[in-house]
Amino acid sequence: MSERVFNGVKILDLTQGIAGPYCTKLFGSFGAEVIKVERPVKGDITRGMGPFPNDEYDLEKSGTFFYLNANKKSITLNVKSKEGIEILKRILKTTDILVESYAPGGLQKLGLSKKILRKINSRIIVTSISAFGKTGPYRRYRADNLTVSALGGTVYPMRPGIQPKTRPTALGGYQAEFSTGLLSYIATVAALIGRANSSRSVSIDVSMMECVASTLMGHIAEYSYLGFSRRTNPFAIHGYPIGYSVPCKDGYISLTPGIGGAPNIPFLINEPDLQNSDFITDPRMRMADPEGFDALIIPWLMRRNKRDVTAEAQELRLAFTPVLSAGELFEDQQLKARKFFNTTRHPRLGKIANPGPPAKLRGTPWLPGRAPLLGEHNREFYRGLGYTQREIKKLHSAGII
Amino acid sequence: MAYKLLEGIRIIDLTMVFAGPVATKILAELGAEVIKIESWQRPDVFTRANVYPENNPGTDPWNRGCLFHSLNAGKRAISLNMAAEEGRDIFKQLLKVSNAVIENYSPRVMTNWGLDYGRIKKINPRIIMVSVSGLGHDGPLKDYYMYVPGMEGMSGLTHNTGNPDEPPLLSGFAYGDWVTGANAAMALMTALFHQKITGKGQYVDVSGREATICHLGDIVLDCILNKRDRKRMGNRHPGYAPHGCYRCKGDDEWVAIAIETDSQWKRFVREIHEPEALRDQAFASRQGRLARQTELDCLIEQWTTRRNKFEVMEALQRLRIPAGPALNMKEINLNPHLMKRGFFQCVNHGEGIGNRPIPSQIPAKLRGFRKFALRRAPHFGEDNEYVFCSLLGMSKQDLEHLEQEKVISRAPEFPPGRPTRVDLLEKQQAGCIDPDYLTELRKHFGVGIGKA
Repeated sequence: MSERVFNGVKILDLTQGIAGPYCTKLFGSFGAEVIKVERPVKGDITRGMGPFPNDEYDLEKSGTFFYLNANKKSITLNVKSKEGIEILKRILKTTDILVESYAPGGLQKLGLSKKILRKINSRIIVTSISAFGKTGPYRRYRADNLTVSALGGTVYPMRPGIQPKTRPTALGGYQAEFSTGLLSYIATVAALIGRANSSRSVSIDVSMMECVASTLMGHIAEYSYLGFSRRTNPFAIHGYPIGYSVPCKDGYISLTPGIGGAPNIPFLINEPDLQNSDFITDPRMRMADPEGFDALIIPWLMRRNKRDVTAEAQELRLAFTPVLSAGELFEDQQLKARKFFNTTRHPRLGKIANPGPPAKLRGTPWLPGRAPLLGEHNREFYRGLGYTQREIKKLHSAGII
Repeated sequence: MAYKLLEGIRIIDLTMVFAGPVATKILAELGAEVIKIESWQRPDVFTRANVYPENNPGTDPWNRGCLFHSLNAGKRAISLNMAAEEGRDIFKQLLKVSNAVIENYSPRVMTNWGLDYGRIKKINPRIIMVSVSGLGHDGPLKDYYMYVPGMEGMSGLTHNTGNPDEPPLLSGFAYGDWVTGANAAMALMTALFHQKITGKGQYVDVSGREATICHLGDIVLDCILNKRDRKRMGNRHPGYAPHGCYRCKGDDEWVAIAIETDSQWKRFVREIHEPEALRDQAFASRQGRLARQTELDCLIEQWTTRRNKFEVMEALQRLRIPAGPALNMKEINLNPHLMKRGFFQCVNHGEGIGNRPIPSQIPAKLRGFRKFALRRAPHFGEDNEYVFCSLLGMSKQDLEHLEQEKVISRAPEFPPGRPTRVDLLEKQQAGCIDPDYLTELRKHFGVGIGKA
């Protein structure tokens, strides 16, 4: 009774790295046919990026590639060759969406200007993902996840509340990349929905710097309303200390003491006499003295482990939660009950757990799937395109596929 | 810039604070009609009550908060008391003329109101319902009280953020809420496409914590493949060095630099002449640099400390090396690249507030669709008449009756408007205050800034 959302939607994926592949992974996992075009021999750059099992470099065993390319078909093609580009044009005729992550101007260099693309396929949606977008003074600048996060404004406010002028540290992992992949997907699906309202061909220009800045949400406007640039999540802005992590016996707890039951804190720490103190009843007292608040609860926390603290606090409607490592996710009873980790089979990695869906759509399932081997679908795909066995061999020996 | 892609799609929005409103702001910027529901007892206080223009709460503070303006521009707002049966009956009428409903209450609320998906579906079989929560709508921990620190902390993100020898660091800007909201928009958009093709609705369950884990794929996979439980590593990268955030000339000024290849390194040392120690042959290879990162970072910082952060960016970008200053909110608002790209839209928020730049929540430039100017964020209950009369066919008398019965209202119950404690912000050094911000903004966004 459940069905794939993008049944019959064809996507040509000319991206590599993280942002672009995450965008097309979402399409693939909701049932689109994604043809991933990779460089012959080397493939996508993330194939060379770890983690590898036992840290042994192997193009077919990258964990990052596995995660980002589930449910895609891999074909190899040298798009810089003349034959390569002719083949690409043939594929484009039946493509609904082209997603690409070349530097601005890259498609034109290949001979695929907007005009030519439109001539090949007037209904095509072209989604271009780059660090700074196709226009503007920074368009030729280089970036990686860290430097684009800095420019997008998400590095500056990354300091502990009580040490707001220390060296900022960016969010862990590749948040700029994933955010961009996600927003690119949303814009592209919207274009698919809205295409009926537009007779013109559609192109989408996504800039990673802007995607990063959009994750700052309303905080950007603190400047235009008050002249304020936050260095941290200020204790003093929301009327209570906002979430931060405090130590306990076996790790850390993250908490937001001001919302959802602060009056219960005295009961949590077995000091009911405190319930009438200003410090508990008036959030503005706490915000003026975050260290005083810490001094109140940290001694109690240090005698208990994070699971027990969380359980007791939650009983009292206090928003205390444990800080978990990635390893601890695998023992998390909630994730287990919700079957968050799926198991997939990969020809080289064997049986492997796979995190996921980012959201549960009950009527249209998420396909856990696996990533393809390099050029795994060459034969099937090129035969489907009308090439004979012999011609495919020829393209192969010429280094085109 | 906003685009008309989702014309004719109507979303009922029961969400508050950050996560849910991010989701519906994305839909509103893409042309959907979003109707935000609040009640007089439960307005969206958190965002309505914070950071007023020129620190002045005015007489209607609930209509003046900057976070609310940014996150709710382009939406409509009605007041409706869902705790009253009459309010729920009106809500059911609204369900009949809408494509989707999105909510972020704790899991029991909608069920207690008799508005769980099973019953909503009977009213409108085509409807999509999106529930946004911390840990999801089933499982043993579904009733956990949690906000953004829980989404980040329970996902592995916090454990992997900050310096290795220091406590884990939560984001300074509610990033986990953004991830939750943007993933809810992703799911809703997907379900809307499915609805358009098949005419079918469905139920969508978004767990903010799970969405955040999905943005940590590489870290989680290291655990799966190698049982290696990674920990925060500051600004470093597992595969290349130098990779860090370095102090520049001035007070609290920083630049991020990432050198990915040996040839970039070669160009780097050719450009910077001192300190001499950087020319050490051991640094010529990626492995050599990865092995001595602490030393390397000190040497590079000796060079950056004497330079302006923008000069460093320009010097290194000329060498095709990724580098960028850590921009603060002022520099984001006034950034020439973002401005040129149309990242901000100047929206007039009315009397006493005037124009202010509103950042885009879906910053994609689309060609082939009609653009439109985003409406300012709605005042409390501003669209009561449009929704109840124009959409649902009620009369003016009906509205008066509903107001008497306190089912709808023109003003919320609201805590006294209080200015931000700028003195505390300064004392705690929680940020920098620019007293000339209106003048600065007017230079770029015109004289209408701050004037109605």
